Amino acid sequence: MFLAVIIIFIFAYGLIISEKIHRTVVALTGAILLILIGVITQEEAVAGVDFNTLGLLIGMMIIVGIAKNSGMFQYVAIWASKMGRGKPIPIFLLLGLITAVFSAFLDNVTTVLLMIPVVFVVANNLKLNPKPFLISAILLSNVGGTATLIGDPPNILIGSAAKINFNEFIVNMGPISLIITFLTLGLLYFWYRKKLVATPAAQAKIMKFKPAEAITDKKLLIKSLLVLGIVLFGFFTHSFTHFEAATIALTGAALLLILTMTDPESHLKEVEWTTIFFFIGLFILVTGLVKVGAIRILAEQLLNLTGGNLTTTTMAILWGSAFFSAVIDNIPFVTTMIPLIKDIGAISGINLTPLWWALVIGADIGGNATIVGASANVVVSGIAKREGHEIKFLEYLKIAVPITFAGLILATGYIWFRYLA
Amino acid sequence: MKQKKQYLIKDYMSDHGGVIIQESADFHQAVNLMIKKKTNGLVVVDEKNKVTGILSSWDLIRQVVPNYLEGEENLSSFEDADIFSQRINEVKNLPIKKFMTKNVHAVHPEGTLMEASTLLAKHGIRQLPVTDQNGTLVGYLNRTDIKRAIGDILNLN
Repeated sequence: MFLAVIIIFIFAYGLIISEKIHRTVVALTGAILLILIGVITQEEAVAGVDFNTLGLLIGMMIIVGIAKNSGMFQYVAIWASKMGRGKPIPIFLLLGLITAVFSAFLDNVTTVLLMIPVVFVVANNLKLNPKPFLISAILLSNVGGTATLIGDPPNILIGSAAKINFNEFIVNMGPISLIITFLTLGLLYFWYRKKLVATPAAQAKIMKFKPAEAITDKKLLIKSLLVLGIVLFGFFTHSFTHFEAATIALTGAALLLILTMTDPESHLKEVEWTTIFFFIGLFILVTGLVKVGAIRILAEQLLNLTGGNLTTTTMAILWGSAFFSAVIDNIPFVTTMIPLIKDIGAISGINLTPLWWALVIGADIGGNATIVGASANVVVSGIAKREGHEIKFLEYLKIAVPITFAGLILATGYIWFRYLA
Repeated sequence: MKQKKQYLIKDYMSDHGGVIIQESADFHQAVNLMIKKKTNGLVVVDEKNKVTGILSSWDLIRQVVPNYLEGEENLSSFEDADIFSQRINEVKNLPIKKFMTKNVHAVHPEGTLMEASTLLAKHGIRQLPVTDQNGTLVGYLNRTDIKRAIGDILNLN
């Protein structure tokens, strides 16, 4: 039985990496196989699904799916270009910063899908190659996503499993996310500053932008801002109300659906159900791994390797997660790591707090290193290729690896001083 | 007493009206043909005169819009004006096979006008190619033909 589970799991991981079969199909097939061969019962499978994570994801997807139709996010991006007074370098840095801020509150893929059209329009007006802007959007969406509980799916997973609330998350991860954002912007500036030159005529075009034209629907804008405000307020006040994150997000979703009073079908279709089912499959797969004791063995191995030392274990998780996230999807990786870290706690009794933060940073930032390291990277490179600006694997690696590495070094220092020293 | 008519496609179809283009043509040739023949729709056929697609001016216009502006009507007002001509130069050699409508709603001469009306109404199209058993183009049926049939029934013609 043990061997069967390991084989199914490794096979599933391999297929997910190879992308020969869609990751959701792989995860669901693997999950159902575990039930069919009797490793876990259906009840155990259902119990293994973290509905708080799913509820939070679905709730946020519904809210953002409706809110983005108001044009509010693009309004901000266009406004920023104007604030940059048409000068390429300030615009480049501001768009990067906005990507990071949006990404802190929106899913990374949603963020890049909102930013990329603006990036193309701005670069075209400035008669600049859009590639530096595209690469900047990838890097900063992953860095910004580290800041909050809702910024990146791994954060939701970790927050839900480790009972970390919204405020705790932003207080702990906000500062390092901000530090790495500025570091990344600084390095991007040094890398691209000579390419970011535009004629006065091109700059004048940007100055003629009327950001208000980006607003598609004023009524929807007000409703969306209201609901987003309520949801953020709900997250911030969690320690008083004790409402779970999923409850708050789904309250917002229900409220926005009531306010917009349209047929919910189109809005519900915008929820990325394939991602949701991917999570469900992974939760069940990992439940099987936990049940046969595979995760416990891995935890013991890791503790043997680090000698049970808190500092060594934390750093191993930070750099190990970063490495794995650069190569594989960070969602299955984090789903596997969560019970592993819990087992480390159960076996050794060490303080798990630094380990959770190391996992967040490693998984979120590590994805930046390669063009296939995170979903946002893959989405942007797909669009870039279609528009004739293909981002080659090595071309991306050359700039992304040093930037990711520098960010991780800062994160190492941050974790050391804040949690270990 | 008049004999009851069946209202079949073959009674109302015409063998002219549509402009044919070979499926090996590209964007540039398609636009050229549409301008010359003053039409917004082409029937795409292979070398055996078999219908393989329909190309409308919508398909051409869609090619001009970059992917990143699809569904971004408001953002498109910010786009640089030069991108329009730049895009056209980028897509001018694109084979029409890549962007024509492949799912052709063709009808057979023996089909009924009700079938044709259902298709025209549902898809909001102007004209249906009429093909024989082998998929070879034998004629066209358009909105005017249906209108003519309606007129016949109402004794207006």
